[in-house]
Amino acid sequence: MMGRVLQKVGTGFSWICAILLLGTVFCMVGYLVINGLSTINITLIFGETDPMDALLFRKQVFDGLFPAIIGTFALVALSVSFAVPIGLAAGIYMAEYCRGTLKKVFSLFFDVLAGIPSIVVGLFGFSVAIFLHKYFSSKIYPCLFISALSLAFLVLPYLIRTTQISLENLPEGIRRTAPALGATKLQNIFYVMIPRSLSGIASGVILSIGRCAEDTAVIMLTGVVATSGVPKSVFSNYEALPFYIYYISSQYSDKQELLSGYGAAIILLVICGLLFMAAFFVKHRLTHHALYRP
Amino acid sequence: MENKTKIRIDGLSFFYNDYRVLNNITVSFPKNTITAIVGPSGKGKTTFLMILNRLWESIPKARMEGSVKIRFDGGFHKIYDPSYPLSRLRRLVGMVFQVPNPLPMSIYKNVAFPLKLAGLKDKNLISEKVETALKSAFLWEEVKDRLRDNAFGLSGGQQQRLCIARVLTLEPQILLLDEPTSSLDASAGAVIEELMTNLKDRCTLLMVSHYLDQVKRIADTVLELSDGKLIDYQIVSGKKL
Repeated sequence: MMGRVLQKVGTGFSWICAILLLGTVFCMVGYLVINGLSTINITLIFGETDPMDALLFRKQVFDGLFPAIIGTFALVALSVSFAVPIGLAAGIYMAEYCRGTLKKVFSLFFDVLAGIPSIVVGLFGFSVAIFLHKYFSSKIYPCLFISALSLAFLVLPYLIRTTQISLENLPEGIRRTAPALGATKLQNIFYVMIPRSLSGIASGVILSIGRCAEDTAVIMLTGVVATSGVPKSVFSNYEALPFYIYYISSQYSDKQELLSGYGAAIILLVICGLLFMAAFFVKHRLTHHALYRP
Repeated sequence: MENKTKIRIDGLSFFYNDYRVLNNITVSFPKNTITAIVGPSGKGKTTFLMILNRLWESIPKARMEGSVKIRFDGGFHKIYDPSYPLSRLRRLVGMVFQVPNPLPMSIYKNVAFPLKLAGLKDKNLISEKVETALKSAFLWEEVKDRLRDNAFGLSGGQQQRLCIARVLTLEPQILLLDEPTSSLDASAGAVIEELMTNLKDRCTLLMVSHYLDQVKRIADTVLELSDGKLIDYQIVSGKKL
């Protein structure tokens, strides 16, 4: 009798939590859409410049979101390309090569790294920029490159952890198949274990993409500015959508500007959505290819 | 007779952590025979098999004492000598597991996989060896028209024969089989038994089995292990070595 009541309470509680969560998401997105959808038009993105000229980088856009959109894409691409190889390699090391006390020590370090507030990572990036400026080349300032490195630093612990766990969770039977056929440790990792763990690893990469696209604290200290146009090189300043949303909402001078902030928020969500879909597609193709290639 | 011995084990003891699993076993196995390893479950039979291809070394806190020598290339080699490369040992000593474990690839790629690991690049040679192996495993006729199909589409018995074919591509001299028919039905099991008898002229086979009638049918010698100790080792009645 008591068991059945508890079961109903448990189920009801779970439902309430789920509805609360979904409801919050819908409210947030709904609020954004209601307020910002009207502002989304070509002018918001391209300003006074002709869209074709802007897309082919022939002319600069001065009063539109286009540079910020490009900046966000460039930032995500660069930081993910820094973080993924290192995170993957470290994850493989932790799962397959590291043992004993050293493994515990590294685990602790990675956990600490995961817990560092993003503003502190941003400060670190800024300090690195200053250090490089002083001791290497006075041409180095906070820029796209420094931001990408700092963001990579931010997402590295998640990549390492998901790779490590995906590899460690492989059943014993799968781990022994290739060695019993004469595979070296490295061959086992590359031909059998990684293809089997691709799903988990890809999930880690998708998480990192989302994190890099939305972080504001890190980029504020390492090179993002309000107006710089499309980034000319990795060592130049750049714009980014999260920063645009931040400064528009803190310094808007009329209602139209605030509404354009909502518009930018919607665009950022759409970009994240597109990046996630692309990542899921790649994950599907990779797992399909790796596992069922004839 | 000395030149008929393929495997010589002396004073073998095995520990997981500090728990003694195998206790001072000394035994020799003649070549080109099928030896059945029988005894109560969970008492070290699979561990005993893994001693011979050093597959236990990836298990943390496992420890072994004693010596294992296998006759290769005219002489006895200590397979635990650090100078003896693991991957070479595992090509000479093949293993088939209880539950078939095909890799998620096509049938052809599964059987060719060990050759790829060994670095063989000649496509024609690989093709030849794959066909030979599949024929030796009594599987060629059933799959020759669908080599590019996914291996998971095969039945349990076919998958087990695929795993045997896979291991045969390397032409091993010793074959270790851990309860090879226990996950299969009687008719699939019978095919595997016939296959093993057929392989005797090329390999020395060691098989863990719980089926005493299977042991009587195909084994030449029987090793009985209980509590990690060698209880008995004898020729199956009616067989000649």
